[in-house]
Amino acid sequence: MLYPEIVIAGCGNPLFADDGFGPAVVEALSHITLPDNVKAEDAGLGGPHFIFTLLDPEKTRKLIIVDIADFGGEPGELRTFRVEDLPPGSYRDAHSWDLTEPLHRLKDSIDITIIGCQPKRVSAPEFEIGLTDEIQQAIPRAVREVLALIGVDYGTTLENLRNEERQFGTEGKACGEI
Amino acid sequence: MWNYTGIAKRTREYHEAIILSKIVEISPTTRHEGHSKLVLKVDDAGIVERGDWLSITPVRGVEKLAIGKTMDQVPKIASRVCGICPIAHTLAGIESMEGSIRCEIPKDAKLLRIILQCANRLHSIALHNILILPDFYLPGTDTKINPFSPQEPVRSVAKRIQRLREIGQTIGQIAGGEAVHPSNPRVGGMYKACTQQAKTKMYDLAKEGLVLAHEQMDLMLAIINNMKKRDWVEVGGKQIPLPKTLGYHNQGYMAAHPVYASSNLDECPGWDPKRWTDVRPWDWYMGEGEVSLADPSYPIGGTSPVGTKVNPQMEACTGVPLYDGAPVEVGPRARLVTFKNFDEKGTWGQHIARQLEYTDSLYAMINALDEYNPNGKVLADHIPQGDGSLGWAANEAPRGCDVHLAKVKDGRVLYYEMLVPTTWNFPTCSRALTGAPWQVAEMVVRGYDPCVSCATHMIVVDEDKRIVAQKLIQ
Repeated sequence: MLYPEIVIAGCGNPLFADDGFGPAVVEALSHITLPDNVKAEDAGLGGPHFIFTLLDPEKTRKLIIVDIADFGGEPGELRTFRVEDLPPGSYRDAHSWDLTEPLHRLKDSIDITIIGCQPKRVSAPEFEIGLTDEIQQAIPRAVREVLALIGVDYGTTLENLRNEERQFGTEGKACGEI
Repeated sequence: MWNYTGIAKRTREYHEAIILSKIVEISPTTRHEGHSKLVLKVDDAGIVERGDWLSITPVRGVEKLAIGKTMDQVPKIASRVCGICPIAHTLAGIESMEGSIRCEIPKDAKLLRIILQCANRLHSIALHNILILPDFYLPGTDTKINPFSPQEPVRSVAKRIQRLREIGQTIGQIAGGEAVHPSNPRVGGMYKACTQQAKTKMYDLAKEGLVLAHEQMDLMLAIINNMKKRDWVEVGGKQIPLPKTLGYHNQGYMAAHPVYASSNLDECPGWDPKRWTDVRPWDWYMGEGEVSLADPSYPIGGTSPVGTKVNPQMEACTGVPLYDGAPVEVGPRARLVTFKNFDEKGTWGQHIARQLEYTDSLYAMINALDEYNPNGKVLADHIPQGDGSLGWAANEAPRGCDVHLAKVKDGRVLYYEMLVPTTWNFPTCSRALTGAPWQVAEMVVRGYDPCVSCATHMIVVDEDKRIVAQKLIQ
């Protein structure tokens, strides 16, 4: 089985500055123990080619794509999208084999969410390695968002943190943190 | 004595040829990776007199970025220049570093790399089947093949192709560490050996793949041979005559190894850097012109409208590499011509050669698995840091010879160059377009299974190997 029930694909090219956000989130996820039915893959530029056209809807139920997206937000701002929200041409198969969006083929059989991060600097076509500070700081938030979407709670999901915040008074004091 | 009549006649013929020739532009070309276009000078009957196929993907300059990076970083950078060929670039990048630092890797590490290489090739051939099938007919009918059709027999074929892709990718993932960007290969060998259990799994998958590959190869050969007999093909609602010499050219072939790769560490290297030179695109491609023939019914949006300015000399984003002073073809047919006396020419010959590599890649993989010892060493005991000597590796990637050259000193890269398969094929394929109706030019291009986005290297070296130009396209 190449891809399991839940697939997280970090898309983008680390050679184009902030376009490396997706692979950087997958790298961060590699330090976390994920359930056996989850696979986080550094898709690079090969997402459509090596992942989206190879998913078997009978096995894979959920696909989470992490990538940069220009939605006019502040650099580092995260938003989630559905396939219907994407402009034409997003994730077209790199071989453009029939000019059809591979995600549109899958969207009725696989639950697809795209976590988009507003980039600050994309250097293409010039190569530049390294994320800007704002995008770097978005990585932990994206990781939390991914964990929330796949229902894994190590006490770091946004919901959990909000709950903790509500109880901050008592717990904070107990830890001697004021 | 001067023959003025003869000179005048030739001059008149030349001017008439220019006036009578029309220019067609197909931009972008489709069903391959990256952005390229075709500028075709055609006669009154629509036959290509001169064709230019060129990359319009902007230059990226990985060679410049690599300088000063460590020898472990650069192959990882190289693997990112293309979404299709990360395995070939990783292996060629690493082996060019090993060539420079003169590091021999253990046998079992080499075997794992061969398994990874063959898995990549298996996946690539299967994918290319899907890309080219819409150009072909179901044998005995005038019905073109839609690989996404839910109807039989196409549906079963599409499922078999998908399974072959899955098998290739799964084996690649086991041997290479990741499904897309292989993390296991490293300078000096591999990070991890594969266990006996992993070896058995790869073996089982390879055996399943071998049966499917035989079936798929037989089917594709029947489809291609049927196409060879056809007199016409339908393009944009018109019947276009198919020449028997479609895609023929008089250029040479270049292949470094029948399956895997060669490097400067080999006893008998399969490639020679002294035989390689470059010319600039503006010395090779056509100059400024204007589209004078357009066909809005041509598939996927029609050709460029009349009046569109073209200037291949300035638009081409790649240098033109030459081997022995001439362009060469690389890829499956080049491998088979060089090592197996294959003699089929043209576009159909290319397709046939690629299908023959289906089973070749699986037999090579099974042989490597037979030899592989899971308890063997996969990392060299000593990894030298390099003295700045030139090293090179010529990896036989699915679409042809992928040559990387490097100089490493004290673990840092001083010089790095990638000569990727499609860069070699651009000028050769351009010549292979002559004599074909312009409407089938894209079929000739697809025979090369082009991968354009990384086909970009712009450092131009002259006969003396001096850098003479480094041009950036705006």
